[in-house]
Formats: sequence, C-alpha cells, structure tokens
Amino acid sequence: MSALALLAPLNFVDSLLLKFFSEQTVNYIIWPFIQVGAVVTITALWVAYATYLERKISAFMQARLGPMRVGPWGLLQPIADGLKLLVKEDFIPENADRWIFFIAPYIAVVAAFIVLAVVPFGPDWAVITDVNIGILFVLAVSSVGVLALILAGWSSNSKYALLGALRSSAQMVSYEVAMGLAIIGALMFARTLSLSGIVAAQQSNSIWFLLYQPIGFVIFLISGIAENNRAPFDLPEAESELVAGFHTEYSGFRWSLFFMAEYTAMVVVTAVATTLYLGGWYFPFVYRLTEAKGYHNAYVVVSLIVFLAKAGLLLYLYFWLRWTLPRFRYDQLMDLGWKWLLPAALINIVVSAIAIVTLQALDGSGLITIKSMASGLNLTAAGKGIAIAFGVLNLFLTAGILSLINWRSRDFNLKQQRRQIRLVDLPKGKPAVAPAVSEP
Amino acid sequence: MILSGWETVFFWFFSIAAILAGLLTVMARNAVHSALFLISSLVSVGALFILLGAEFIAGVQILVYVGGVMVLFLFVIMLVNVGAEEEGRAPIFNRPAQVAAALIFSLLLVVALLAAINKGYVGLRDRDAAALKQTETTRSEQESKMQTGATGVSRITTQTESVGMSLFTNASLPFEIASLLLLVAIVGSVMLARTLKQEAAADDVDSEVLGQAPPAETGTDNI
Repeated sequence: MSALALLAPLNFVDSLLLKFFSEQTVNYIIWPFIQVGAVVTITALWVAYATYLERKISAFMQARLGPMRVGPWGLLQPIADGLKLLVKEDFIPENADRWIFFIAPYIAVVAAFIVLAVVPFGPDWAVITDVNIGILFVLAVSSVGVLALILAGWSSNSKYALLGALRSSAQMVSYEVAMGLAIIGALMFARTLSLSGIVAAQQSNSIWFLLYQPIGFVIFLISGIAENNRAPFDLPEAESELVAGFHTEYSGFRWSLFFMAEYTAMVVVTAVATTLYLGGWYFPFVYRLTEAKGYHNAYVVVSLIVFLAKAGLLLYLYFWLRWTLPRFRYDQLMDLGWKWLLPAALINIVVSAIAIVTLQALDGSGLITIKSMASGLNLTAAGKGIAIAFGVLNLFLTAGILSLINWRSRDFNLKQQRRQIRLVDLPKGKPAVAPAVSEP
Repeated sequence: MILSGWETVFFWFFSIAAILAGLLTVMARNAVHSALFLISSLVSVGALFILLGAEFIAGVQILVYVGGVMVLFLFVIMLVNVGAEEEGRAPIFNRPAQVAAALIFSLLLVVALLAAINKGYVGLRDRDAAALKQTETTRSEQESKMQTGATGVSRITTQTESVGMSLFTNASLPFEIASLLLLVAIVGSVMLARTLKQEAAADDVDSEVLGQAPPAETGTDNI
C-alpha cells in the first residue's frame, strides 16, 4: 500500500530517536512535541484557509465569484490577508486598561488551542494525550474562553465593546448549561469521560451514538454554534448594531488572534461533536481492511481521514448556516436557550436513563440485550434496536413536551400575573408607597 | 502528601502562585483586576488538585468557578460604575493604628503557624524518612497498575469513577439537599435584593394602594 510506504519513515524516525534519547524522553517529551507542532500548524493553516472558504462559500451562495485576483482562484488571498494584518498598526485606545487589553486575545487563543490536546484525531499516535476527564476538560477550558471576550470588551473602554462583552457573557453562560446537559446522554452509553474511551465504546458497539442520541446531537450542535458566537448567534459582534462587538477596538495582530480563536473554537466544537455522536475516527470496515491485515500505520491514516471528513462536513454546516439564517433577536436567543434547549436536554437525560434501565431489565428476562459493560455499554442487535427505538421515540416525546411547555409562552404577561398574585401584602387604602411611585 | 521529583517543583510553583494571587486579589485597586487575580488563584488551586490525582475535582473547579462564578462576577463588576477607589483618589488603607494592629496580629499568626508547621515537619520527617526513599518506586508501581490510555503510553486514573460512584450511592441525599439549598439561596437573594419600592414600581399603577377600585377580574388589561 502506498500509505504504508509513505509512513515507513515514522518507524525509522522512532528508532533513530531511541538511539540518542531514553525511551521515556522519546515517549513523553519528543513525540508529544512533534504531535503538538503538527496539530498547531495544521490548525493555523485551517484558520487561514477558513477565511478563504467562508468567502468562497458565501460567494457561491450569492452567485458571485469571491476572491479571484491573488493567485489561481484567489488561493493566495489568505496569505495576503495575513501579511496585511501583521504589518498593520497595533492600536491601543487611550483610556484602555492596557494590561488586560494586552492579554485578552492571548487568553482566547490559548483556551481554544489547549482543547485540541485531548481530541482523538485517530487511533494510536494520532492522539496527543488521553485524560480521564476528557470531555470535562473540554467544557472547562472552553468556558475559560468566555473570560477573554468579557475582558476584551471591558478593557477597550468603548460602549460597543462593552455591550458585546455583556451579551457574550450572558449568551455563553446560558448555552454552556444546555451543552453540558446534552452530552450526558451519550456519556451514559459510553460509561467514560475520556474522549478516546467514547470512540472506543462506539467502535466496540459498531454504531454511532447519533442513532441513540439524535436529540442530544442537535442540542449539542446548536449550543456549540452559540458558544462560538457564530451566525445566527453572533450577537456579541453583531455588525449592524455594535460595529464589531467585543473586538471593535482591536487591530492588527491582536485582532487576528481573536479571529484565530474563533475558527479554532469551531474546530473544537465540530471535533467534539464528531467524537461524541458521529463515532470519532471509527468507520465500518476500516479496521478489517487495514489493521486486521497488519497495516497499522495505514489504519491510523485512514481513520484520521475519516475523522477529518466528518468534522469537515460539520464545519460546512457553520458556513451554510451563517450565509442562510438571519441573526436572532436577543430575547429570541434567551428563549431558545432556556425554554427550548435546556428542557430538551433534561428530557434527553431522563429518556436515556429510562432506555438503559429498560435494557438492563430486559436483559434478565429471556432476551439478551447487553453483551458486556467493560468498554462502554456493549449491546447485542436486539439491545441496539431497543436503544435506537428509544432515540426515535425521544424525538417525538421532546417535540410534544416542548410544545406543551412553550404553549402560548408569548402571551405570558408578567405584569398581569403580578397583579393577581400579590407578593407584598400592602394595607388597603394606605398610600404607604404611593408617593415614591408617582414621583417619576 | 509526600512529594517526589518534579511534583515538588510543580507543588511549590502552584502553591506560591495561589498565595500571591490571593494577596493581590485583596490589594488590587481595580475590581476587575481583583477578579482576574482571584481567577489565577483558583486555577493554581486546580493545578494542585491535579497533583493530588483528583482530576475530576480540578476540572469541576475550573468549569464552575472560573467558567461560571467568575464570569458572573465580572458581569456584575462591569455594570458597576467606576468608583473613587479605582481612580486613586480614596485611600485604600485604614488609619496607621489599625494597620499596625493588623500587622502585629498577622505576624503573631505567621510565627505560630511556622512554629507549628516546623514541629509537625520534624515529626513527619522522622516518621517518613523511610517512606520518602520508597515514594518514587511505589508511585511508579501504582502508576504501572493503572489502565493505559489511547496513546498506549500515558496512564489513566479511575478517580472519576470513584467520585461518580460515591455521589450516586452514599452521597446522593446530601447532594440533593445541597442543590435544594442553592435553589432556596437564589430565590432568597432575588427577594432580598428587590426593595418594596421596586415591587410597587413593577406593579405599575397600584390601584389598591391608591384606594381605587381593583382591576376587573376578567384580566383584560391593556398593556
């Protein structure tokens, strides 16, 4: 196989390194550095070409050509843009809080990049590290990213930036809740927080958790897009209202760092969505065609390509949505987060728990549904059928309950309710508070 | 806790960072700077949790305190106007006598603590002299017993599983009670924060108070 021939140098490099360093140094320091370097380089390249893709896709959707002048089909446009940003003046507003203004973009970039360390891009050497708290680590570090937005907006000493920062903090805190609750259903089937463990659970089941957890996938994707502040949830940087939101006062290199953080965060959300719901690097028949025949490196490379293809499909969704949907109004955003996504995530948890309890109950009585509990919940064909049935049932159940909850929620009138239920029992006819009210 | 190898370096680095950041939290003039130093202190404590092998607690520490609580803190601070303290007009230190008294007492506390720690350290050193030598070997033995991660090199702890087991079995009732307590605290703080005036103002026109006829029972108010 050509892929195998291509990867022969990998083993060669390993043996060469082992000649000069101890095995520990090679395993714990040198290889991780090579992996980190590769991931950072590829992500930085992706960020550069994502801007190109965004312009090309928007042009395609609006029947234009997009960038065409720099290089063939405008392929060198990102490089020209990057050079332009690097030589631009790095401007700091007069009354800005200099230190915070200085470090905010770095917090954004670091928070976005660190998460990539635990994402399993493929089996074996395509993972930088595998930690026990994988998914918790992803949520924790990406929640630190909110700080960067808030600090940037506050330190700029500008109205637009501050408004953008306030919006972003409210938005990201609300959608983080729905996001955290949405993944619990998938974790129940995987029985581990480790991202590699979640992929292994799907591989040993030969299924994608998307089938068990359709609602969870949808909630995760929507709140992921909201977390990234991408259209239609781009209120923190709404161009038509806030100039550029939290990064209005930034320019040059520091501005490009925010851009980099945004596109890297997109990669993170799609990679985690792929890992949790689309089977990560697992694809049917790949193992049997490569690893089982002894082509180990080919197995890793094919799995890596599978992972990138799945993540790429989800990334296209981002561009697609951005150029299709108009921006939400602020109250609509909060409604969607608290009245639709949060209840849906809670229903998903309850239904997933009921599904697993049912599977365990049925396992004892005649029908065999569970193979083993060692690596994830390993189900038999009958068990899978039941789990998928619960997933499909959940779609209708969630739709029903949500429409029940939000039935005429637009007609809800707080003032009228407050008149009927009196919180403070005021004595009748005594104008105790009346003067204070009538003054304004 | 017996430290060995690089653990010692990380432990001292993060514990000193946590203490320094905590000090700066109190001493910073600007409320946002205080919040930032508090965040760095919390992150350092999270790193100390990782050194203890409590990865789950470390993750939750960052997720809840840094990503949740501190974001809300900053949210509130940003809505407050710039005070006199921030602009450097008002003194942040109290009168000399108070400062001196505080310093003397904290010095006494430090001396007492140092004496106590020193005595404890000497006792522990004698007891752990043998154990200290074996730490590294026992540590690596323990680690080699752990499951290997996906990379085949790193080891994975099972700490999350044990936390989950105890949360859902022995500690489930206290956990639920704590969540109820938090809910009550939220409702209570909203009630306390709203004054009578605001309540009346939110009711728009208060017909009862003004001594007029109450609004129609049908609830067809024009709003």
